[in-house]
Formats: sequence, structure tokens, C-alpha cells
Amino acid sequence: MLSYVFRRLLVGFSVMLTVAVVSFMLLHLSGDLATAIAGPESSAADVEKVRVQYGLDRPMVTQFGDWLGAAVRLDFGRSFYFQNTVMELVGERLPVTLKLGGIALLLAVVVAIPLGVLAAIYRDSWVDRFSLLVAVVGQAMPNFWFALTLILVFAVGLKWLPVAGNTSWQHFVLPAVALGYYAMPSLMRLTRAGMLDVLGSDYIRTARAKGLSPARVVFKHALRNAIIPVMALAAVELGFMLGGSVVIESVYSLQGLGQLAWDSISRNDYPVVQAVVLIIAVFYIGLTFVADVLNAALDPRMRTR
Amino acid sequence: MSSTNVLSTPLPQPPMPAWRRGLRRSLGHRGLVIGSVILALIALAALFAPWLSPHDPYAQDVTQRLIPPAWYAKGSWEHLLGTDKLGRDYLSRLLYGARVSLFIGLATALISGLIGTTMGVLAGYYGGRVDAVVSYIVTTRLALPVVLVALAMAALVGGSLKVVIVLLGLLLWDRFAIVTRSATQQLRDAEFIAAAKALGASTPYILLRELLPNLMSALTVVATLEMAHAILLEATLSFLGLGVQPPTPSWGLMVAEGKAYMFFQPWVIVIPGVVLALLVLGINLVGDGLRDVTAPDGRN
Amino acid sequence: MSLLLDVKNLSVDLPTERGLLHAVRGIDFQVRRGEMLCLVGESGCGKSMTSLALMGLLPRKAQRRADHLRFDGVDLQGLPEREMNALRGARIAMIFQEPMTSLNPSYTLGDQLCEALRSHRNVSAAQARERAVHLLERTGVPQAADRLRQYPHQLSGGLRQRVMIAMALMCGPDLIIADEPTTALDVTIQAQILRLIRELQREFGTAVVFITHDLGVVARIADRVAVMYAGEIVETAPVAELFARPSHPYTRGLLNCIPVRGKTLPGRRLRAIPGVVPSLIGPVSGCAFANRCAEVREACAQTPPLVQLTAQHAARCVAIRPSHVFPEATA
Repeated sequence: MLSYVFRRLLVGFSVMLTVAVVSFMLLHLSGDLATAIAGPESSAADVEKVRVQYGLDRPMVTQFGDWLGAAVRLDFGRSFYFQNTVMELVGERLPVTLKLGGIALLLAVVVAIPLGVLAAIYRDSWVDRFSLLVAVVGQAMPNFWFALTLILVFAVGLKWLPVAGNTSWQHFVLPAVALGYYAMPSLMRLTRAGMLDVLGSDYIRTARAKGLSPARVVFKHALRNAIIPVMALAAVELGFMLGGSVVIESVYSLQGLGQLAWDSISRNDYPVVQAVVLIIAVFYIGLTFVADVLNAALDPRMRTR
Repeated sequence: MSSTNVLSTPLPQPPMPAWRRGLRRSLGHRGLVIGSVILALIALAALFAPWLSPHDPYAQDVTQRLIPPAWYAKGSWEHLLGTDKLGRDYLSRLLYGARVSLFIGLATALISGLIGTTMGVLAGYYGGRVDAVVSYIVTTRLALPVVLVALAMAALVGGSLKVVIVLLGLLLWDRFAIVTRSATQQLRDAEFIAAAKALGASTPYILLRELLPNLMSALTVVATLEMAHAILLEATLSFLGLGVQPPTPSWGLMVAEGKAYMFFQPWVIVIPGVVLALLVLGINLVGDGLRDVTAPDGRN
Repeated sequence: MSLLLDVKNLSVDLPTERGLLHAVRGIDFQVRRGEMLCLVGESGCGKSMTSLALMGLLPRKAQRRADHLRFDGVDLQGLPEREMNALRGARIAMIFQEPMTSLNPSYTLGDQLCEALRSHRNVSAAQARERAVHLLERTGVPQAADRLRQYPHQLSGGLRQRVMIAMALMCGPDLIIADEPTTALDVTIQAQILRLIRELQREFGTAVVFITHDLGVVARIADRVAVMYAGEIVETAPVAELFARPSHPYTRGLLNCIPVRGKTLPGRRLRAIPGVVPSLIGPVSGCAFANRCAEVREACAQTPPLVQLTAQHAARCVAIRPSHVFPEATA
């Protein structure tokens, strides 16, 4: 078990490095950054000045080396747009995004697991069909549109919740729903599939033959074994949410990491963009690592060695 | 309780040809049928858009701005689904928008399918170091936040239909690679491959003529799902302004353009969103349905 | 001895893609207190379905019917699920075939042993553990006290089956249904487990319905035998009687197939019953064994009547020869 964890950790680190390289290269190779920063109307001389000023005339490897060396120390340089350092900006915004992601995942899980369990127990009943319907429709709606519709219905129409900002907890409800609904179907389906699988196994038959109450059979014996892959998937979905928070945060003006990324992209504030991409990738890698470890822990070959 | 005597149990029926069985299963699968109908309707609407549209989707008429759809009090039958902020007929833009979405979905699925399948097949067939390299690339790609990267690159290069297709094609190949890799691994040791090798067939021949046809069913399923994925992503990019550029009608763009008016003219964002959801729903139903129908027997 | 289990005309039907499968077709049998009844038959004859039907653990789609299913006087068919649940594990326990998968891998043996007792009776955790250790020792599990903390995957198949047996005995049931408990084990372990079950049955006075396909097992442990074929019970008899005077052609065929040391010469072909079991999907009538029977005749197209050879011995066949009918027979 320990060796597996170690190996996955190693892979995780090298992937992180590769992501850093890739994101760096993508940004630098997809256009002339100096021109982008200087602006479309600048003269050639201005562009040259910008190039030298930001060290963009040095070889790519040097640029990357410098950037990476600083990044490891969590120094991502200074934003072009704001006066603060990138880390200060990230530090301000990251908690908002994490809070949003956490609540979104919680909402998704709280709906998905009971629904999946019920769908498995009452297979082919209306509960089952209804939950599959919800899943299928949920995954078809574009998140930006769903976010806007939520605003229309709940903030404007019913006036239950505020539209924008991030001060009170009410501000997080609609964005969390808009961010989390997309993860709900896959979590629900996995719970259902896992439960169906487990409910058909021999030890469940034994539990029933012992005359244990149906609730105990489901929750103590079945769910316990079916839930681990779901938790692993939940970790992965959280990673997706962190990456996809761009749209939701923009729509709801949440001043989180995603919105920072979006604004910086629009403003060609590339140190920020690079940092945010890397940070989100790091979170994602960390979360998939957690998911892998969870799934491996389930494998009986890894236990009590 | 009489009828047939055990001594004269009927002989088993001759087996149905595989395609007949597949067809019967497909028709019985409700999701597949519904999805196909939806998809067919939208595809037809897109195909016949020039004939079905009452107006030119690009024709602006400032005097006709923001007319509500026909079923509202102030609506008119002239513009069945109303007009947008520049007075362009919504229905026409919707129909032409279908073309954009479907085109992007298909083109992206094609490009990412080519890239992903090539990588997956090579990794699955050769194994060893090739597999290790491909798996590593896939893991790296999976670690990238796709939306952010797409946004960043679109911002740098400038958004347009072509850019969106190329960008998404270069980013959405992962599932193709994963699925074809595992499918190839399973088929690699099959007898018909060994037979082909014994006959002296070259590797490209084996890969293309023997292996690939057997991957088709899995590939189709993944292709439909990635199509849906691409369509949603394009809509998101266009919504944020970095996808298809105005005046081209893209459903995502239409939602963006309508955002400023959504509080008083909600249909401006509701209608494109609903058709987007319908299209993705149709594609997902077809994809899931195909997966169910082509799954090995015993699953049902 | 009083009747503990009295089953009359039990049927189980399963809807399948190709029609209604008549898995069990109107069987009767009885089990007295403390008696070991062996239900023997080949794969697919309906014996497992019978056991599940008794326990009320059939799949949801299955349809169970019977004239009566009396356990200690109470008809199980009429019982609401909650009361049936109270019986399961407490008064009727079941042991399954696959010891490797019949225990939950995520919980300790102690937990799984004690949970039935604690949910059915009001005992403390300590008392339950004490009983568990006692039973583990009785079933021959070494280091019983330590086992409570172990997980299923740490034990071998034979040990796990002993744990299953102990688990079945935890609440002191009146009846144990054992569905081929030794089939998945090594031959040497089989013998041990069989001996164990026999001993425990005698010691605790538990009635056992022992399901098997192996006549050798039957010979070793049964008090009475019921032979099942294609969803029907074709012959019932005390064990010695069955082996001495097998009356149904199927029973005789089965006994013929067993190679006998000294009699079956090496190099000779083993005997087998020709033909295959008929499909039980759709309406079935007449004797199910007719298409394979050496003594088939026209009368076999009708459902054969139950012939009572002695008070304890009955068989369903029209071909029972007069010499098989004994003086004590009741017509």
C-alpha cells in the first residue's frame, strides 16, 4: 500500500511539472506576448521595449527556468494590472473559490447519494426512472445558462436570494447550485451502480438471511462497500469544479479565483493567468491523487499486508 | 395445464442475424429512440435552415428590437420567437445557430477522435514504452483545467469558429485515447489478429482493417459524448466572448447578447438555452443508448 | 416427533425474457424436529430456489405459491415481512455455498457473528462475544478469541465455512437450511465440515435441510432424503431405504452413475443418464423425466401420481414395479 502511495505521489509531481511546462509553453507559443501586452495599436518600438522589459527576448528555457524557480517559492511575480503580487491576489481569491467548490460538492453529494441508493433499492420503479431523468437532463444544461436561469427565477422572480457579491452565505447558494448540479448526475449514477452491484453480492444475502432490518442491510452492509468509489469520484468532481468556476464566478460576480483568471485573461495579465492555471492544476492533481488512494484502499489486496 | 407434452418440446429458433438483433434492441430502448428523434429534428432544422427561416438571420432592423415571441401580448406572428437587441429574427438565428453547433460538434469530434484514437490504439497495441508515454500524456492532459486553458489560448489567438474547432479538437481527445487503448488491449490477443499476423499482414493493415472495425461501436459512443462536450464548451466560450464572434449566430453567443436584457426580456436567454439543452440531451441519450445496446449480453 | 416444517404444493415461478420459468413445481416435504433432511438433485433442479422460497429471500420478480408453508404451525406465507425477518436468523438460519464471498469484507468476524444475536435478542456486546467464542470453539476454529478481531480475507475457505456455521448457530435456531455448504471446499475439508454439521445437529437438536448434489454426502449424513428433478420431488425416503430400494428411475439412474470401488472396473466407461433436462419455460406437463427414462410408457404423458411405498417412502412414478411395493404399504 505504501509503495503504491509513493509511486502515485511521484507521478503526481512529475505531472505537475509537465503541466507547468505545458501551460507556460501554451501561453508563450500561441501568440506574441509582447504584442499582446503592449496592445494592438503600439508601434514596433514600443513592442520591443515591452519585450525587453519583461524579459521576453531571452531564450524560452531561461524564461521558464526563472519562472519555475520563483514559482516553487510561491513567487509568481507581480500582476501587470494590479499593483499587488500575484500571490497576494491569489491569496485573496482562493478561499472564496474553495468555499464555493466545497459547498457545491456538498450539495451535489447530499442529493446524489440518497437518490442513488433509492434508485438502486427500488430499481425500475418510478423513483429510479425519475432520478435517471434528472441525471440526464442535468447533464444537458449548459452551466452558464443554468446559472442565469437560477438568477431569473430565484433572485429576480421570487426574490429569495441576492444576485451578486460574496459577503453572506446567501450569496453562495445559487452559485453553489449552479456549480454543483453538473456533478450530481455522475455521482448519483455511480452510487446507483455501486449499490446495485453490492446488493447482488453474497454477503448481502447472508445479511438478509440473518434477519437484519432492511435499513441495516442497506446502510451498514451495502453502502459501506459501495461508497468508496463515489467518494473518489467526488474528489475528482471537486477538481473539475475548481476549474469550471470561471463561468459561475463571472456570472455571479463572486471575486474568486475563477473570476480572477477570467479578468486576467481579458486583460492579458499573463503572470496571473499562468499562476492560476498551475494552481488549479495542482489542486486537481492532488484531488485525483486522493481519489486514487481511496480506490486503492478499497482493493482487498492492498489491505493488512 | 395441458398443452405440449414434455416429449415434444419445440426446437430452439434459428438465431437472428446480429444486425437484426441490434436493430430490435435499439428500437426497444426508449432513450435511444427519443434521443435519435430529437437529434434528427435538430439536424433537419439545421440542414434546411435556409428554407425554414422566415428571415435573414443577419438582417438588422432597429425599429423591431426586442419584440417578444408570438405568444406574448406584444408579440407578432411576423417574428415567431421574437427579435434580439439588433432586431434580428430569433427563430432564424436559432435555426442557423443549430448549424454552428452541429458543425462544431462534428468537426471537433472528428479531430479529437483522430488524435485520441491514434494515441489509444498505438498505446494499446504496442504496450510497453509507447503505452507509458501515451498514458503519461493523457494524465497530464487530464490535469489541465480545460476551460481555463481554452479561454487563455482563445484570448491570445483571438476567438473565431476555426479557432474554437482547432482548440477543442486539440483538447478533447482524452476519452478517445482511454477507451481505444483499453479496447485495443483487449483485442490485441484475439485470434483474428493472430491469424492476420500469421498471414503476414503488415502492422498498419492489421490496425486499420482488422482492429479498427471492432472498435467502432465503442468509438461511436465516445464520439457522441465528446460531441456533446464540445458543443457545451463552445457555447461557454462564445458566452464569454472568446468563441464564435458576432454576427455569426451561436446559441451561446445569443445568450451572452441577451444577458443585459434578461431581467425584462427573459426569453432572450431562455430560448437558446433550452435548445442547447435539447441538443445535448439528444446526443447524450443517443450515446448512452448506443452504449447500452452494444454492451455485451447479460448486462440487462 | 412433531413436524417443524410442513411444506405442501410449493411452486416458484420466475419470469424470464423467454417466458415463465417454473423453477419449482408443486413440491411437498416435511421436516421433523432434530431431523436431517437431504434435498438432493443436479444443478438447476430447483433445490436452491426451494431454500430461498422457504426463507422468503426470492428475487423480487419471483412468484411463490403454496398450499401451506408451515413452520412450527405458522404459515410463513401469511406473515408480514417484519415478522418473517424476526424469524430469519433467529429461528431459521441459512448457510450458503460460497464461504469466500458470503461474508462482508469490511467488517470483523466478531461484528458479523454478533450482529444477528444482538438485533434479535436483547444481549449485551460482551455476552454476544462470549457466545461467539464458544461457538467458534465448538465449530473447530483455533484461537477463537483472536478471530473475533480478524477480517474474512484473513481466513481460508474451510475456516470461513466454520465461521458461517457458528454464525448460523448464534441465535439457537430450530431449523438450519444449508445450501451446498461443502461444495466449494476441498474434499478433505468437506469431510470435516460434514462431520461437524452432523455432530452439531445432534448436539443442539437442530433440524437441518441439507441441499446437495452429491449422493455420497447424502449417504454420510442424512436421516431422510428427498430427490429433486426438474422442479419436482420424485422420491422421498429414509436414507437407508433409499439406497437399498431406490424406486424412481431417476434415483436408480443416479445411483448407477456412482463408480464403486471394486465393482467399476478401470478403463470402463462411466455410466450416465442419457438425454438432457427439459426446459421448464412455458407450460410443462407429464413426467419431466420421461424423455430420458428407460421405462417410459404412454401413461407418462400425464402427471404421475405419488405412490406410497411405505409410510416413509414415496415416489412419483407409474413404473414402480410390484416388487417394490412392500407388505406394509398403504395403497
